[in-house]
Amino acid sequence: MSEKSKASANFSSIPVIALLGLLSLPLVVMYAYLILDTVTNSEPGSLVPNEFTLEHWKFLWETRSGKSSIWLVTLNTFIFTCCITGVILLVSSMAGYVLSRLNVPARGFFLAGVMVLHAFPSVTLIISIFIVLQYIGLYNSLIGVILVKAAIDMPLGIWLMKGFYDTVPWEIEMAGIVDGASRFTVWRRLVLPQIKPAIMALGLFSFLTGWSEFILPQVLAPGSQVQVLSVYLASLIADDNNFDFATFKAVGVFYVIPVLILYVFFQKHLMNIYGGGTKG
Amino acid sequence: MRILLDKFSKSFGTTSVIEDMNLEVGSGEMLALLGPSGCGKSTTLFAICGIHRPTAGRILFGDRDVTNLPSQERNVGVVFQSYALYPHMTVEENIGFPLTVRRVAASDIKKQVAGIAALVHIDNLLDRKPSQLSGGQQQRVALARALIRRPDVLLLDEPLANLDAKLRLEMRSEIRRLQKETGITAILVTHDQVEAMSMCDRIAIMKSGEIVQVATPSQMYQDPRTAFVAGFLGNPPISFLKGKAAHGAFVSTDGKLQMTLPALSGIADGTALTLGIRPEHFGTAGNVPVEGKVTFAETQGRENLYDVVLPDGSVIRSIQPVRDDVTLGDQVRWGIDSKSAFVFAEDGTRL
Amino acid sequence: MRTSRTLGMVMIAPAAIMIFLFYLMPVVLTAIFAMTNMSTATGISGGAWQVTASAVNRLKTTLPELANGIAEPRFVIDEDGLKELEALKLKPGFATELRAQHIGGVYPSRREAERDIKALKDRPNTREVKQISDIFNRSVLNTRFESRDALMTSLDKLGFKLTPEQQQIVSDATYTGWVWTSENFSTIANSPDMLQILINTGIYVAVTLTLFNVTYALFLAVTTHYMPSNTASVFRAIWLLPRITPVVIYILLWKWMTWDNGFISLFLAQFGVPPKNYLLDSAYNAWFFVILINGFIGASMGMLVFSSAIKAIPQTQFHASEVDGASRWQQIRYIILPQLRWPILFVTCYQTLSLLASFQEIHLSTRGGPGKSTEVWSLAAFHTALNNYTGNLEYGLGAAMALVLVVVGLVLSLIYLRVFRYDTLISKPLIED
Repeated sequence: MSEKSKASANFSSIPVIALLGLLSLPLVVMYAYLILDTVTNSEPGSLVPNEFTLEHWKFLWETRSGKSSIWLVTLNTFIFTCCITGVILLVSSMAGYVLSRLNVPARGFFLAGVMVLHAFPSVTLIISIFIVLQYIGLYNSLIGVILVKAAIDMPLGIWLMKGFYDTVPWEIEMAGIVDGASRFTVWRRLVLPQIKPAIMALGLFSFLTGWSEFILPQVLAPGSQVQVLSVYLASLIADDNNFDFATFKAVGVFYVIPVLILYVFFQKHLMNIYGGGTKG
Repeated sequence: MRILLDKFSKSFGTTSVIEDMNLEVGSGEMLALLGPSGCGKSTTLFAICGIHRPTAGRILFGDRDVTNLPSQERNVGVVFQSYALYPHMTVEENIGFPLTVRRVAASDIKKQVAGIAALVHIDNLLDRKPSQLSGGQQQRVALARALIRRPDVLLLDEPLANLDAKLRLEMRSEIRRLQKETGITAILVTHDQVEAMSMCDRIAIMKSGEIVQVATPSQMYQDPRTAFVAGFLGNPPISFLKGKAAHGAFVSTDGKLQMTLPALSGIADGTALTLGIRPEHFGTAGNVPVEGKVTFAETQGRENLYDVVLPDGSVIRSIQPVRDDVTLGDQVRWGIDSKSAFVFAEDGTRL
Repeated sequence: MRTSRTLGMVMIAPAAIMIFLFYLMPVVLTAIFAMTNMSTATGISGGAWQVTASAVNRLKTTLPELANGIAEPRFVIDEDGLKELEALKLKPGFATELRAQHIGGVYPSRREAERDIKALKDRPNTREVKQISDIFNRSVLNTRFESRDALMTSLDKLGFKLTPEQQQIVSDATYTGWVWTSENFSTIANSPDMLQILINTGIYVAVTLTLFNVTYALFLAVTTHYMPSNTASVFRAIWLLPRITPVVIYILLWKWMTWDNGFISLFLAQFGVPPKNYLLDSAYNAWFFVILINGFIGASMGMLVFSSAIKAIPQTQFHASEVDGASRWQQIRYIILPQLRWPILFVTCYQTLSLLASFQEIHLSTRGGPGKSTEVWSLAAFHTALNNYTGNLEYGLGAAMALVLVVVGLVLSLIYLRVFRYDTLISKPLIED
């Protein structure tokens, strides 16, 4: 962290650290055991592992009967997530610019609409989208889910991008147009490069939510050929015949690793989006 | 190239900023648009470069009517107050940008950038990013970028406002030099009368959307058309005294000061008047004596500055060669040079 | 103005199209579906006319005679049929023997009728048996008609002379496709189940919001404020984990925590407490964990918003208050909290909507159970329309429930737009090209 704000010298930080540490214990235990359980076995009824093993990871090289290969599912998830990220970035970076800078009719109305949609209960959309996709034949296809997921996250994207565009000085654009550049060139070559960090943050955010998405693919594309990791894991857990927390956790760790890596490296960007980015 | 604003009007929504303004800038001339903030000078500049569209009237570059042309087709160079350099491009890319968007060949761009960079003395900085430059250097880059495609007109929006005092002095002469060398028509927008007077061939003083007077700096100083113009130009500023006309003379409110002025012949007795006296016209040499008390004394090195309070409470400023015989609280009897005094009617127009 | 307007229209078009396709259309469709009784049983395209036992039951109240008539068993050996059989010119023995032995015979099913036909002395072959039994088919019960007219013609043949009004009643009772109705809304308004769900939703939103999304988030923001920044960022990172973690894994972790072979059970087993499923054993426990699960996710947003708001308070205010002798509690009470008023209001508003709309976590953890004790409105809509054990998905009712949520969401967000002075967010474009 670059800007270090010092805690007050007048108040000891030990008690608050101890208190918060205690309260954070459940989370720490959960995540510690998430990792630990995937590579160890313990006696029944015991919480202390007694042997190291890789057996819980055998789903990586053995495909269970009736299940898709984990690698196919991972590839699906990756394609799914990248497409979502791409669509969100493209659509919101354009629409955000329009709402921030260009003179289009009903601009204020559109912006208000985006804010209202931002808080839209997705369950209302799923029910009718489910039926719409069945009608137009995109049911059980990744394309359908990608479009729907991108659409659901898009209002936030537009809203964030609009906020970032607002911080680019008008003079840059004025200079661009008197230098003879069209508005499109101004956007492409002068404004977009200024908000690279924002695009990066939104891309990251979209990637993470896309990677984590469960309910949309579950409802709209339950077929095994288009399964994504979240649905795969959920179906594993829901399958009562093979109940094995350690394997679930191994699949879970496999699934969550990209998220954790991105999180560790880009924590600051993400904090901005999850906290400040949603500011109205 | 000559620039002509013909009955130019601009309003934003229902707020009218400028109405029926006429202004001509001669070819190769540098004109200052001078006025307090909010007087409409920046609006005028934005209309000339096409960022704003006039609500009515015409704008002509030479004989070409550019009123409805977008900025991109006007061929104007603008230096913004914040310079508006593109932070992600190097100095070279910044300067070359106007040519790049015109799809000029890369080798040509390189040659022209080198030429213009040499002209503004930044040829050693071409690989840097704007954030690595000092304020003065950024200013030069902005100038180079504005000049590179030989614009019909160069517009400068408060170009010196963000510089420190020393750089300001340097860039003042630098901009003037470049303008003279390139022979370009230029318009400078500023609220600083010193800048306007020192850099420009002519000054147009603006007040609430109207041009009050257009003249050369010295003309304007010596022959202001209104009290506003007289008050705006000159540092230290002019002093005003309230009074009335009586028998072709100005009489102060308490009647102690009487000054016969040729401009007052034919003015009805009792007309409310304002007398304007520049500090250099009030001192030991003046012909109309005035008595008062020194309430402020300051030396500026070469000259001294005094405020003298008259018995009726009004204040006249005086600037005189350094002397140390007058101190705060002294009663003095100095004279006003009646030939150089201005007299204004109640609405501010000069008589 | 022209060029930038055109560019603007082009650039906003993709967003507009997506909003149209995936927000406006679904909402309109939801409203339309809400006015129907669509379900798995009715299908979503169209239906047929089928005289099922339940259709007969429906008819019994209005047209009892007809209902009884229709409900009569299916195969009757009558003179009409015998004549038809003779006309077919099969072996004459069939008709003769049937007339002699079975005239007036009534068979409730094809199988029984065919048994007697097969037993005829002239031994009809399989094809003939079918031919003969068809002739004596005298009922429309359990027959599917592709159109209304086919049903009416058939009834007419059987001698049921119906007035147009009666025809309409029969048609309504036997139609298997969806029809327009406002029943969904009266169900929502009157059913005690719905009332229970409404109360659940209220409890869920209010408790989670006050305990976690606001109070605990404030607690996190304030405590991390009183720490060295490195320690603080570790804690913030920990508490952001629930939001970052994919929901399926996050819930898996809670299941591991609470199930009978999970952490709590194992841990308490050391002290002799028998293991049990803490997540689902009682409504009280289920609520406890549902709120915990959602609260842990919800706390992070408030934490980040409040943290940055606290960071925005000038350091000098803290210094000054400490010099003035304020205790830590007084500093929180008089310096921090008063300046967090707007962020708190914002988080409250924003999270109310999020909580109203959220159902994934509950769906994955308790599925609304045990029983329906943790079923909240959005989850109930989802379960009704798309996911339940009975297999009859009631799209219409689900859509109606969803529509209620849409209306609530719209009204709330419009109010919020007012409160947060949305109009200050739009500035006029400065370039007029």
